[in-house]
Amino acid sequence: MDFPTIGIAGVTYRLPSIARTLDDLDARGALRSAPAVLAGFGFERAWVAESETALELAMGAVGDLLAETDADPDEIGVILYAGALTSSSTLATDSSSDGAALHLPDVMDLFKYPVSRIQAEFGLTRATAVGVDQQACASLFSAIRIGRDMLVAEPELRAVLCVAADRFPTHAPREMIYNVVSDAACAALLRKDWRGNRILACGHVTKGALWDASEMENEIIAAYFPTARTVIRETLERAGLSIDDIDWIVPHNVSLRSWEILLGLLDFPREKLFAENIARVGHTIASDNLLNLRDLLDSGRVREGERLLLFTFGYGLHWSCMVVER
Amino acid sequence: MTAAGRTVLVTGGTGTLGRELVRRLAARPSAPRIVVLSRSASGADARLPAGVRVVRGDLAAGSGLGLSSAERDELSGEVNDVLHCAADTRFMLPLEEARAANVGGTHAILDFAAGCRALGRMGCFSTVYVAGRRTGWIAESDLDDGGAGFVNSYERSKHEMEREVRRRMGDLPIAVYRLSTLIGDSRTGAVSGPNAFHAALRLLYHGLAPMVPGRPENRVDVVAVDYVADAASWLFDRRFEAGRTYHLCSGNEGSSTLAELIDEVVEAFHRFRPEWRRRHVEKPAIVDPETYDLFVRSVEETGNEVLLRATRAVQSFAGQLSCPKTFDTRATEAALAGSGLRPPRVLDFLPKVVRACLESDWRESAA
Repeated sequence: MDFPTIGIAGVTYRLPSIARTLDDLDARGALRSAPAVLAGFGFERAWVAESETALELAMGAVGDLLAETDADPDEIGVILYAGALTSSSTLATDSSSDGAALHLPDVMDLFKYPVSRIQAEFGLTRATAVGVDQQACASLFSAIRIGRDMLVAEPELRAVLCVAADRFPTHAPREMIYNVVSDAACAALLRKDWRGNRILACGHVTKGALWDASEMENEIIAAYFPTARTVIRETLERAGLSIDDIDWIVPHNVSLRSWEILLGLLDFPREKLFAENIARVGHTIASDNLLNLRDLLDSGRVREGERLLLFTFGYGLHWSCMVVER
Repeated sequence: MTAAGRTVLVTGGTGTLGRELVRRLAARPSAPRIVVLSRSASGADARLPAGVRVVRGDLAAGSGLGLSSAERDELSGEVNDVLHCAADTRFMLPLEEARAANVGGTHAILDFAAGCRALGRMGCFSTVYVAGRRTGWIAESDLDDGGAGFVNSYERSKHEMEREVRRRMGDLPIAVYRLSTLIGDSRTGAVSGPNAFHAALRLLYHGLAPMVPGRPENRVDVVAVDYVADAASWLFDRRFEAGRTYHLCSGNEGSSTLAELIDEVVEAFHRFRPEWRRRHVEKPAIVDPETYDLFVRSVEETGNEVLLRATRAVQSFAGQLSCPKTFDTRATEAALAGSGLRPPRVLDFLPKVVRACLESDWRESAA
């Protein structure tokens, strides 16, 4: 049976207007580790949404995407809105004084969804609006995987819009497991019979035993590396490839040090890791990999036919991988 | 033969191996007189067989062994055999402390033995890892790290100990028995002395062992304590030959590869603790030494206390996993001919050891 080719036809992202240096974040009490330690791990700054909501960032990314891809609103049959933070999946947070923790003057606020707002704002009237959550930083990967599978399964479906947007509470720490966290939104358009950035394989492992991120931090750190290697190997196998067939790794923007260790486990050359955004952008929860994919493609370094491996990891606990061919 | 009428002095007789040797000596129909030198005479004899005499002494006190002059005179006139098992086997001691215990202590017992008027035999226990980081074929007669250095202070101090022992072989009837890491009893799995190996298993069980350095195909030599005790008893008793060195290890046939060992341990966790499956613990990745060192350095930089303890526990021997070597056991095999003894395959008894560790909650197995 022949399956249609599903490709990522476009990616856009939005960062907030304010970036804070490690020293600035430290002075504000937003870091747990010393700035020097985090700098040694490859970080320089965090982008902090002080005047923007998550929805505004998402709207910006979607607007840019629809314009860049010349998408006909009627072409999009599904919108998958990926919220890593529980607060990202409801508009109730917008009325909160610090912008993210649930704030419920009216229980009806829990039924106000960002994905519906996006559909209405951009006139995507033929699209089914769906939320994808509880996947943390792997949310957007899960949205893309679900979108790809829907495009394969449903003959009439032509395109799926995937959106991720996350914003930390204003006064929340900006460091998680030695990673510097930024706010951001990202949007990607999946199209059927689209050969550019063709999705070759997806892989995902959930380890619910490690669900408690605050109590199991050490076990999570220890599980991260060997499980990452396993998921990457399994995804490559699904694609009929080996690590030697990969031309670029497009990372999630966790510490560069952790990537150097993981590259050692994979036996993959450092110069083929697109790592520039770890310092420039920081870890944007769910948006990292697609944001990095956009910048890597814009850099002109990826040739047609080259294969890219995208890998991310999220609390919950999720490891997710995708192989894409330019 | 070590038999009635003879007196055997045992150092380290309350340790993992020493206790096994003493039990075997005492179980003979015509057992010799057994004297165990112990720093804590009070409780040390609690698990020793009846009839064993425990004398309070200390190798750190030099050739006097911390004994009264009367005791010393009595023993030096009486002792026919010496089994020197005492050692500080902690891998990460400061070198000077390791030397004081393992080299200094050996000096003391050698000097004492030299004054024993009826001395017939002396057995000194060492480690196959006196070869340090050297790789390849390690002959039983070798005492050379090939300039590669050592993984920890224990290896270095035992190497230096053997040099001293060899220097004295011209004057004293000494045989050297080198052991690999003792992990438990091959028949019961009982662990009488949890060590770094068991600490590493425990970390794996608790999901705190993300990676180990080495190559999957590298052989890891660990050995059953009952085999070592049986073989050492036979070699000392029946085939004693001064000046010889024997490798009491699993060897090429009995040992397993690093990957096989990890797989077997994980399989045993699943078998003996079915609920462990729910923890969804990933097997540690086997990585090159550079990657492992980078991970350790990163943990050190973060100052994460739990992971620091975990990495240090593995680090104490981890370097050895990247130094593949094959231990020559031909002299041992030849000398064991007729005994029926051969090292049990590690993969055959490792599950019993894992079960014993789980049942004892990682403490010493009940006697």
